[in-house]
This record gives sequence, structure tokens and C-alpha cells, in this order.
Amino acid sequence: MKKIHLIVFALLFYHGINAQDKFLTKEGYVSFFSHSLVEDIKADNNQVLSVIDTVTGKIAIQMLMRSFMFKKALMQEHFNENYVESYKYPKATFSGEIINFSDLNEENDETEIIGTLTVHGEEKEIRTKVNVEIREDGIRLKGDFNVDVADFKIKIPSIVANNIAKTIKVTFELDHKPYK
Amino acid sequence: MRNRTFKIIFGFLLLAALGLVASIYYYNKPHVDVQKSEATYVLSAQNLIDQYRNNETDTDKKYSETVIQVKGKVFEISTLKGNSVITLKDEGLESSIICHMLPEDNKRTLQFKKGDEINVKGICTGYLMDVIMVRCTLVD
Repeated sequence: MKKIHLIVFALLFYHGINAQDKFLTKEGYVSFFSHSLVEDIKADNNQVLSVIDTVTGKIAIQMLMRSFMFKKALMQEHFNENYVESYKYPKATFSGEIINFSDLNEENDETEIIGTLTVHGEEKEIRTKVNVEIREDGIRLKGDFNVDVADFKIKIPSIVANNIAKTIKVTFELDHKPYK
Repeated sequence: MRNRTFKIIFGFLLLAALGLVASIYYYNKPHVDVQKSEATYVLSAQNLIDQYRNNETDTDKKYSETVIQVKGKVFEISTLKGNSVITLKDEGLESSIICHMLPEDNKRTLQFKKGDEINVKGICTGYLMDVIMVRCTLVD
């Protein structure tokens, strides 16, 4: 947890002189979706923090697990208390790199993003396609990928095993603005 | 005899129905109504930020998932997906409190401008670079 903090702050403040190389959002969107025969479960987080260093293409993302909003209060409660144990692991983080960032432009806006996703204290390498929209006043990243619940040592009680998918679809949309 | 069997079966059915209603109610129980809830803690924006910066773990255990009320100066008012977002911050400081407002409060947030001192009640979800609060409402 401390490590990712350092990465975010290093990305933000290390090259203090080149602040225009940093793009940041505090209102990024990440959601996950679980489909099962019994029910569909979706949760949205609109308070995701993400920083891109445009020189290196490095990216650091942090989000609070308790910021995931569910339709049903009971699901949100079970999610935080029993499954991801937010009192122990309040944040999920991603630290990685946008591949060939400097080659991206309006025509060529598809690339890959690789890095380490940490949820519930468990790390997992992620490599996924990403759409990068570069404008003068912003950089928007969009994409989705699948993760296995088991990879993050999240225990789902057998009584609700049929309600929750083994594989969860994660969708993200992060609209960064220049960091001043 | 017949009558008794009927009563027993009826009793069981009644219990089952009550159980079903109770479990549906439990399954569909509503989110905390921030507008009607009493804040567990009332404090200043700067006090909350200081506590988080000094000891994030313990502060998070105390305040997260809790309805709190903070008093602070408006730094910025913006909208995100149709809902107001109020940033409470004192001039010259790095960290702020980002308050994601309830849709019901959209109109009322318009009356404020930078520098106004306001009270916001909401659910604290934790600390990234800033303290984050959701389902917030203005308190007079």
C-alpha cells in the first residue's frame, strides 16, 4: 500500500519542473460486472485517481473499494465486509505502462497497457487492450478486461456461489486533465 | 381433528410467508439515507484531512463507511455525470475533501461560490490524495 503511494507521488512530483508532462484525474470511472444465471451484479466507482507521465507512458491508478456503489445495499455490505475485506485492504491499485505511448495519435489510438493490479492484497499481472484518445487538454483511456475472482484470494461462500461469476468483467474510462 | 390439522398447516404457511417477506425485505434493504441520518462525527475539513495524513489506517477505521459532517471552504464546484461535486479546501493546501453530492442537492449547490463556508454531510469512503465522501448533502 505504501509502495503505490510512493509511485503516485513520484510520478507527480519527482520531475517537478516538467509538471506539464503529467496528466491526472480524480474522477476516473471503473466498474465491474458479474453475470450469473441467478443475477447480474454491477458496481461503479467514479472516484478513481489516475496519473499518467506522458514522457515515459507510465501510469499509476488508485481507487477506494468502499467507493464502489452497488444497486443493493446488502451486496455492497457483503462486498466490503466479507469478500474484499475493505477494512484490511481499503484500496485497489494498478501500476504499469502504456505501450508505445509516444507513437499514439488520432489515427493510431489502440495500444496495450501492462502492469500489476493489486486487489485484496493480491498482485496479478494484467495485459489488456486500451483505447487512448489524446487531445490537447486531456488523455482519455478506455477499455475492459476480465479477472478471475480466485486470483485475488477472494472467498465466496458456497451459499451464494451461484450468484457470483467466477470471472468478473472490469471496465474503465479515465479522462485525465493536465496536472497543474 | 380436521380443524386442528388445518390450523397447523395454516400456521406453517403463515410462518413461511413471513420468513419470505422478511428475507425479501432484507435482500432489498435500502442504502443509508444520509439526509435523514444523524452524523456520527462532526468536524472541520482541515481536521479530517490532518487526521488522515497523520495516521491513515486508524483514521480510515474510524471514519470510513460512516456518516460524517464536515465544515469547510468551497474550493471548486463541478459536475460529474449530472451530479454536483464540491471540493472543500483551504487556500494553499494540497489535500482537499471531495464531496460527491446526491442528485437532490444539485440545485442547492449552485448558490455557492469559491470561498463560502459550508457544512456537508455524507459517507466517507477513504483517502487517496484527498478524502472522498459520497452520497453527500448540504446541511444548513
